[in-house]
Amino acid sequence: MTVTEPVTDRVTLAPEATDAEIVAAVEAWLHAHLPEDWRAAVARGDLAAVEAIREDPERGPAWFDLLGDSGLATPTWPAEHGGLGLPADRGAVVTETLARYRAERHNRDFVGLVLAGHTILEWGTPDQKAERLPALRRGREFWCQLFSEPGAGSDLAGLTTRAVRQADGTWLVNGQKVWNSYAHLADFGLLMARTDPNAPKHRGITYFLLDMRTPGVEPRPLKQMTGNAEFNETFLTDVVVPDSARIGPVNQGWSVAITTLMQERNGLSGRPAVGEGEADELVARAVGTGAWADPVLRDRLLEAYVEEKVLQMTTVRSFVASGAAAPTAEGSIRKLAHSVLAEKLGVLGTELEPDGAVAWEPEAGSEAADRFLAMKTYSIAGGTSEIQRNIIAERVLGLPKDPDPDRHLPFAERGRG
Amino acid sequence: MYAEQREPEFGWTDEHRGLRETVRRVLADRAPVSRARELAEAGERHDPALWSELAEQVGVQGLALPERYGGFGGTLLDLAIVVEEMGRVLHGGPFLPTVGLAAPVLLAADDRAAESAPAAEYLPRIADGSLTAALAVEAWDDAGRPAVTVTADAGGRLTGTVPVVLDGGDADLLVVAARGPAGPAPYLVDAGATGLTRTPLETLDLTRRAARITLDGTPGRALGDPARGGAVLAHARAVASVLVSAEQVGGMTAATELTAEYARTRRQFGRLIGSFQGVKHRLADMAVRREMAHSAAYYAAWQEPGTPEFAQASAIARAYCGDAFLQTGLDTIQLHGGIGFTWEHDAHLYLRRARADRALLGSPQLARAELVPAALSRATTEGVPA
Repeated sequence: MTVTEPVTDRVTLAPEATDAEIVAAVEAWLHAHLPEDWRAAVARGDLAAVEAIREDPERGPAWFDLLGDSGLATPTWPAEHGGLGLPADRGAVVTETLARYRAERHNRDFVGLVLAGHTILEWGTPDQKAERLPALRRGREFWCQLFSEPGAGSDLAGLTTRAVRQADGTWLVNGQKVWNSYAHLADFGLLMARTDPNAPKHRGITYFLLDMRTPGVEPRPLKQMTGNAEFNETFLTDVVVPDSARIGPVNQGWSVAITTLMQERNGLSGRPAVGEGEADELVARAVGTGAWADPVLRDRLLEAYVEEKVLQMTTVRSFVASGAAAPTAEGSIRKLAHSVLAEKLGVLGTELEPDGAVAWEPEAGSEAADRFLAMKTYSIAGGTSEIQRNIIAERVLGLPKDPDPDRHLPFAERGRG
Repeated sequence: MYAEQREPEFGWTDEHRGLRETVRRVLADRAPVSRARELAEAGERHDPALWSELAEQVGVQGLALPERYGGFGGTLLDLAIVVEEMGRVLHGGPFLPTVGLAAPVLLAADDRAAESAPAAEYLPRIADGSLTAALAVEAWDDAGRPAVTVTADAGGRLTGTVPVVLDGGDADLLVVAARGPAGPAPYLVDAGATGLTRTPLETLDLTRRAARITLDGTPGRALGDPARGGAVLAHARAVASVLVSAEQVGGMTAATELTAEYARTRRQFGRLIGSFQGVKHRLADMAVRREMAHSAAYYAAWQEPGTPEFAQASAIARAYCGDAFLQTGLDTIQLHGGIGFTWEHDAHLYLRRARADRALLGSPQLARAELVPAALSRATTEGVPA
């Protein structure tokens, strides 16, 4: 199968299709298109072989082109943009089914497929949609997020990267961003910059779709506490950005960012299905190491097991409730619950190991240590748990906002830090 | 068996919403929390006029009972909605003991082939509000089976003690778990049976009564096929657990709303206390627990009774909701400060209910132990020795 082969059999599904109808349609399509050796590897549970095909420089992209053109990679996008026009809960069934064949898009595509995709769908110009969406659908362009700054973390709207309109209509961008996952590999970045320092802080920000190959864009990988370097600090020095890269009105970038942030929180608590999860894996591991025999540890594992299942149920429920509607502050509830659970699982995982995962054979590695070191990702990335609690308290429970006497002052006159 | 729920999980219908609104309106009018307190302080078991009205006009006692027994053929989910609404206003008295705890045993044991089936005799009387019942099970083991020392001889005479039976001192009919010739099984005991002693107890949850039941060769009537007795009780308990979970969700919802309302209006240090992160973060955690508990209770209510998924989801709901409501009860008092520690404030009524409900059908820890086989399924499918 080649990239250029025209695809004529787009999948069509009614918005009210039942789970069984969706699974049948997706499976029929997969049976017709998924390469034979891929299916065989899935059938015998050889995930390494599947991963090799997915990461193959020829076969991987060919597959994701085909998937993108079928509409299955973007089930909730409208049909006019190559999606299937399904509500969120129906779309989730598509993705679930693909995942059972390991045929779904890479996790690392999340920023592009979910965040950029939905942001462009909601706010993009016809040209931006025509230029970016087909590549996003096929996974041909890789995206990163350029939101946080050294001085604007939880207080994201306090960002100071400047974009100044020039005489020729282009924007001159200067500043520094941080915690930008995969920025060193990305083709495009979701960028927020301050365009009016004389407006209150939320009202002087503009949002751009930045071409990461523009001169002056310099991502430098940052080593995380895990030892990996997935994220970066990104320096922006006299970067010239055309006005056609602006998304949403000038100085209304914060509203555009809300779309992105809500998609992000909504996406951080896992897939909407009740089934095996990380706790099941830990239970299996505990049986293997003998830790299961310890009644105290067993009860703690079961507590995590219950919490994970209840979170899965909550995710199912919120997908049904939201349908095609935009995600709400309620995504913060799931994100918070997930980050609490991730921490429990991270710690528990090390306690199941006979040696507490403090040392291991170099070639074997330690999954428990990896999980332990990565667990704090979830309570920080995408807005800390403290910020999520503020959002829940203010938007779900209607509690007063934190007092901010400078809130309505021009950004330039505010106290910093 | 309850009617099957066919819609996918969480696909609420207009009928569900209408039922919730109706029940909420009636309770707001006739049985707000202030009324529950009034009855408790007066030492009343319940409001008999409201009980009749609920049976005759709203039809909630028979809502989920089959039509052949005078019910409306509703689902467990329908009943869960009713019980959740009752939980919000701390409705007490015989409703949960009768409809939520005892009736599920009568239904689970129902043998439609038998002529004089007890279900046919008693369920229509529960549906029309003329009979109240109580469930007397001493304890449950970690496999979800009744762990009882009350014995039943071949003639159906029961002997032993059940230390705490909710509404056991007043109910017209007792459903007693006893160890018979074929193992644990449910038996029916009439309130006036010889050799039955019912000793009233003081209760932590002021909205409900309880009694110690002592049986001394008391005549009982075997309910259903004695060989299936253990399974019948286990299934009925799974059903009852879903309803208790729904009641806990209702209590958590009301306690969280009560506390949020206080945080939105109480000023200290020149600010609304809800603007302090120490307060708002605790309240945010209460909201998270409430949403999670709601998901757990209704996910279970949406499963088909009798399936392994149902039993598992029911245990998950009991494990989650019990601890969640207790913590919310504690936080409700904490965030109200001194006023929350007073007798006049409703906060303690929620905490009392939370602790009492948590003990009703076995603790959350016991529920977790019941989940061991499910949690081990991955370990065993991978061939790891269990």
